[in-house]
Amino acid sequence: MDSVNDTAVQDPAHSASPRVGVYICRCGGNISDVVDTDHVAEVCRLIPGVAVAKVHTFMCSDPGQQTISDDIRQEKLDRVVVASCSPFLHELTFRGAVMRSRMNPYLYEHVNIREQCSWAHKHDPQGATAKAIQLISAAVGKVRCATALEKIRLPNHRRALVVGGGPAGMKVAADLAACGIPVVVVERSDRLGGKLPTLNRLFPDGQNATALTDKLESQVQVNPKIEILLKSEVTQVSGFIGNFEVTIHGDFGPSGQSTDIHTTVGVIVMATGFKPYVPNDGEFSYRKHPAVVTTLDFNALLARQHGNRRTLEFDGRSIRSIAFIHCVGSRQLDGVHAPGPDGRLNTYCSRVCCTTVLNQAVQVRQNFPDTRVYDLHQDIRTYGRGHEEYYTDASRAGVVFFRYHGDEPPKVVHTDGPGSPLRITVKDYLSWGEELELEADMVVLAVGMTPGSCETLVDQLKLPRGEDGFLQEIHPKLRPVEISVNGVLLAGTAQAPMNIHETLAAAGAAAVKARAMFTTDEVELNPYVAEVNTQLCEGSGACLTQCEYDGALTLTEIQQDGRTVRKARVNPGLCVGCGACVAVCPTQAINVSGWRIDQYDAMVDGLVRDMAPATV
Amino acid sequence: MLSENSFNPKILVLATEACAYPGADAVGKAHLEYGANVYVLRVPSPVLFPEDFYLRCYARGIDGILIAACGSDCPYRGAYDRLAARIDRLTTRMKTGGLEIQRIRLTAICTVCIKAYLKEVGQMDEQLRALGPVNRPLAEQLRIAARAQMREAAHVHAA
Repeated sequence: MDSVNDTAVQDPAHSASPRVGVYICRCGGNISDVVDTDHVAEVCRLIPGVAVAKVHTFMCSDPGQQTISDDIRQEKLDRVVVASCSPFLHELTFRGAVMRSRMNPYLYEHVNIREQCSWAHKHDPQGATAKAIQLISAAVGKVRCATALEKIRLPNHRRALVVGGGPAGMKVAADLAACGIPVVVVERSDRLGGKLPTLNRLFPDGQNATALTDKLESQVQVNPKIEILLKSEVTQVSGFIGNFEVTIHGDFGPSGQSTDIHTTVGVIVMATGFKPYVPNDGEFSYRKHPAVVTTLDFNALLARQHGNRRTLEFDGRSIRSIAFIHCVGSRQLDGVHAPGPDGRLNTYCSRVCCTTVLNQAVQVRQNFPDTRVYDLHQDIRTYGRGHEEYYTDASRAGVVFFRYHGDEPPKVVHTDGPGSPLRITVKDYLSWGEELELEADMVVLAVGMTPGSCETLVDQLKLPRGEDGFLQEIHPKLRPVEISVNGVLLAGTAQAPMNIHETLAAAGAAAVKARAMFTTDEVELNPYVAEVNTQLCEGSGACLTQCEYDGALTLTEIQQDGRTVRKARVNPGLCVGCGACVAVCPTQAINVSGWRIDQYDAMVDGLVRDMAPATV
Repeated sequence: MLSENSFNPKILVLATEACAYPGADAVGKAHLEYGANVYVLRVPSPVLFPEDFYLRCYARGIDGILIAACGSDCPYRGAYDRLAARIDRLTTRMKTGGLEIQRIRLTAICTVCIKAYLKEVGQMDEQLRALGPVNRPLAEQLRIAARAQMREAAHVHAA
């Protein structure tokens, strides 16, 4: 006898003739430009169990979701399938939509016909259309034998861990504490502020960076809700939203000896920041001559200048000319630039460096009128509000601009002879590709941002990094401060190059998101844990030999038909739902809820089902 | 291009939710293309599939299966090793039973492994086109035998 049917018959939630609603999203052309969505709907109406099949331009929009709600009522649907983008984007959206119509959210199935269909088969519309139909047919098969499931509820620990005590970390802590949420800030160095206090004068308002640091610091230092742990690091982390177990190592002992703190938090905010790009030895003569410095060094140099002078001073010498070089460690090209120690090229634009250079150039020209300033750029990207003014000011202040192509970067050599110690050659496209040679007393390299290190958390929580190496948000527009691990949020430059203004905005957003996670005393987890069909279980114990999680699976004795029999039992709080037990059960009595083998069988049958040929 | 009658293999990709499924998404996001005969099913961990599941897929007309797992990044304790051991046994079973072992492949695909994903599905497609359609009745025989063996082993275990 086929056990697939057994499960179906025994399940009270399984209707004898389920009515499935299928909704196909055009995604404003992202899908329908390739997949013939109307044809897909037409064919899907013929799949057994499908009561309605409809197409909508944006299923995720309010009217799109409303269509589902209306049909659940009017068409008496008891199962819903939406074919749209990746489930990572909108599975939860549509689960919510069916739940609001009082349908169990686990009687919903999501089909990915964008990332894994229309976008991947752009030049094969016929194939993509046929594939969309088979994928929907598979989902209908799965959802037909789906059962209503209840979420697992666990306590939500009302406490946040903020990793990193820079501007983003301080802002998150201050905002969360203001909402009454206790926060622990873990900072690796011996002070708060990160790299902010070194930035001298901030654009676009010229604010003093140390003043801003002090202001943020004063908000966190005095707040009793905020615990600040300096010279400390997270060494171990496990768990899930509402229940992260964290070990923090630092000098917390009564007389300063190093020791571990164990704590439980509900949310983790990654405010781990960035690392400035460090030029290779000899890159634009860096480390070969002391007057070749980075924009960070130059900020410190500007902060050290005292008294009224007509030229900038460095190492006791007057600097009569400075050349700024843009894009050092950013927008790198294969074959032109040497990859970093991790073998990666920084192909991205670091965004903040253009305005940083212009900000510094204007300060030099305004305060030291006898110091000439050269600006060597690929492009000037003063993208932010109030940034373009720095370009105008720099032009008015007499900064001389040169434009090079990315594959022909300028060359810097140093000479011991008389005159300026540094010689720069550049093929300048503002003078139609002329080779020019400049003399400079100082060269400032506009270094970009590279991903910060937070390997313990990345490894142990499985946090995804993007191709650029920065922590990757779920969606750049729709879920910009969330990462695919539920309960973990991103704040600031851990995620991407940002200026201080953007960093604080992102941190504010992360704080609000974190706050929203504490609106309930319990967290709900997907019920994707092992389930035992006690009718089929013969108590062989084969499943127990596979389980790696103590206490998740046990054999218990129960009375059945007047006899004492052994049956497997699952502890849903300890089971992680890996399914190692499923594969070895001789009677197919154990499954992972929501991912049962008979549901996979039904999906495979749906994939190979002979559908009407997709004639487009 | 293919003629109307030429063989178009059906490829099933069992992709882990934590790694390979987002990896397959990344391919689409990058607007890189592969054949529309490749179908991805999401799975917490492929360790949950018994051997006869795979054989049933072949019996139903799936020509090749790519198990796109997390490898050393697997979020579940011990799952990847158990999976690898199972696929080893399955491969042996297929070999002795006369089913081409090129129809099954276990690989690790990460969330940004775009090139690896394209290479794996491309190679599988090429090999399946050379092999032709799967021998479905043979796969069904092997499936029944595999299931029967599991039941028998359990009885021995219980006794």
